[in-house]
Amino acid sequence: MTGPEPILEVSGLLKHYPLTRGILFKKQVGAVKAVDGVDFTLARGETLGIVGESGCGKSTLARLLVNLEAPTAGSIRHRGEDITRLSGRALKAVRRNIQMVFQDPYTSLNPRMTVGDIIGEPYEIHPEAAPKGDRRRRVRELLDVVGLNPEYINRYPHQFSGGQRQRIGIARGLALRPEIIVADEPVSALDVSVQAQVINLLATLQAEFGLSYVFIAHDLSIVRHISDRVGVMYLGRIVETGRDAEIYDHPTHPYTQALLSAVPVPDPRAREHRERIILSGDVPSPTDIPSGCRFRTRCWKARERCTLEVPPLAVPEEFRLTTGPAAHDSACHFAEEKRVVPPEGPAASGDEPHTEPA
Amino acid sequence: MLLEVRDLHVEFRTRDGIAKAVNGVSYAVDAGETLAVLGESGSGKSVTAQAVMGILDSPPGRITGGEVLFQGRDLLTLREDERRRIRGARMAMIFQDALSALNPVLTVGAQLGEMFVVHRGMSAKDARARAVELMDRVRIPAAAQRVRDYPHQFSGGMRQRIMIAMALALEPALIIADEPTTALDVTVQAQVMDLLAELQREYRMGLILITHDLGVVADVADRIAVMYAGRIVESAPVHDIYKAPAHPYTRGLLDSIPRLDQKGRQLYAIKGLPPNLMAIPPGCAFNPRCPMAQDVCRTDVPPLYEVAGDHGGERVSACHFWRECLRDRS
Repeated sequence: MTGPEPILEVSGLLKHYPLTRGILFKKQVGAVKAVDGVDFTLARGETLGIVGESGCGKSTLARLLVNLEAPTAGSIRHRGEDITRLSGRALKAVRRNIQMVFQDPYTSLNPRMTVGDIIGEPYEIHPEAAPKGDRRRRVRELLDVVGLNPEYINRYPHQFSGGQRQRIGIARGLALRPEIIVADEPVSALDVSVQAQVINLLATLQAEFGLSYVFIAHDLSIVRHISDRVGVMYLGRIVETGRDAEIYDHPTHPYTQALLSAVPVPDPRAREHRERIILSGDVPSPTDIPSGCRFRTRCWKARERCTLEVPPLAVPEEFRLTTGPAAHDSACHFAEEKRVVPPEGPAASGDEPHTEPA
Repeated sequence: MLLEVRDLHVEFRTRDGIAKAVNGVSYAVDAGETLAVLGESGSGKSVTAQAVMGILDSPPGRITGGEVLFQGRDLLTLREDERRRIRGARMAMIFQDALSALNPVLTVGAQLGEMFVVHRGMSAKDARARAVELMDRVRIPAAAQRVRDYPHQFSGGMRQRIMIAMALALEPALIIADEPTTALDVTVQAQVMDLLAELQREYRMGLILITHDLGVVADVADRIAVMYAGRIVESAPVHDIYKAPAHPYTRGLLDSIPRLDQKGRQLYAIKGLPPNLMAIPPGCAFNPRCPMAQDVCRTDVPPLYEVAGDHGGERVSACHFWRECLRDRS
């Protein structure tokens, strides 16, 4: 796909959790299909944003990528090597290169360890990464890199605010100098004024260390801000993917369009201009995924074909011969370009309620 | 005026000292109007609402001054049984987390019906019928069957609809919604906000919407009050504040959110952290984080200056340099 050198290639990734019944004789009665066929590539130095609503499988995807869970099927290739098949020393070596930043800065740090021990713990597991005598110095450096005072090395997590704790979590993720960081909702637990600090920090670190990010979030505005490419997930699968402008300004999948139109824009003038697509109902249960297109139960365009045929994630026929921004992968039989985010903000359109046009 | 809060002060006594959560808040809401109270965690926005509703945990909380005038009467001087008659019937509250606000061992029908039994003296059977009507009103499918279900059997969006139904049950004059959609996904959030706005128009209720989300505010509010460290730092009609904020904190908030329709390089970040309520900085509470702070900001608490607004309506800012702040934008 795009980018010269893919650092991570994910194909056909599946994670099904079996549902069993019975105590002595367990029998499988179904499965929670949390991740149900995900493919993507990540290039060096690139940020791939994954957006989706709760229950779409984005956090399970994150756990699969860092090998906290083993997939039911599919492969995750890091520099050509399938990490899902590795074990022992080889797996440990790969894990050094793919690190994770968690959502909740309150539960992801051990309250009984000092900040120095938390950030230095990766060195205990991977002693070859830093000689023993050098570790304290490295931890101080890391604290400095993430914008915390290196003097705080002996403090405990409860002595820090949420934003500072997330910086500690990021420092821990950086300790082994990984190539890839998987961040699962890294700013959603933070206050608005602190979110911006952490997002800027992530961007600076990327430029400085040449990191690749998989950035998982439900907030579409934040994902756009940080991502080069975006994948939209629905019920365990990516339904539309492309460069950020392709997804945000030229979405062709109805789910993406509904999602974008529902995001409140912080500009009261947008109220009158915007067309809102309000979806009916809730996301279906991942134990019972609709046949054909999985979005059809909430889609206003659904027809018979959508019940029968699973739409592939590819450039839709309508756009296959064009080269414009609408020609990107979208898993919809009736893909249609529709602009739901007003171009360059409604301010540019010049009209505004309550004032006379000049 | 439907509700007028005047110079409200609330403190919390804790082991480590006195936390001044609300330090002289004044705001007003009229019938049919939506006031958004915007602030980060710890700004005092929820505590103010709890004091208005009369559900402040005390101790440790204590109202140390001010008035809460509701339909002309000061609620803070009423006896508890008088307040109870107003609460639920004439002013109601919608909470953020519907799952913990609903009783898990009672059916939703019983909880909705209880409003009518307690306040209106209805029989259980009539109350059940009213509960079904209400669930229909907030568009819960198959209300007649689902009235027998328990809260955990509903999805997050549906539970929030039940909270709205419960708040609306007795057709109150005022609704306080504390982060009503924060726990919901964006597509569901849009459904719930739409429903709330529609019902508010229909019943001509006053609505106080407590939130930290500048996007939600821009969508529904008529007026905004921005809170910081237990004070209102700016209050204005919604169009004025987004066009040209008159307080550096409001400006910082607006600049620090990534936008769907813009892709910038670097976000503006307000430096530092929100203050500790046990040691609020002298002078203007925002001064240690403010890019415009001068000596006067570190010594003198700024009063609420009147700001001339574009769209009529009262506009105030608690910044010594509100003129400069406004000018920077225009």
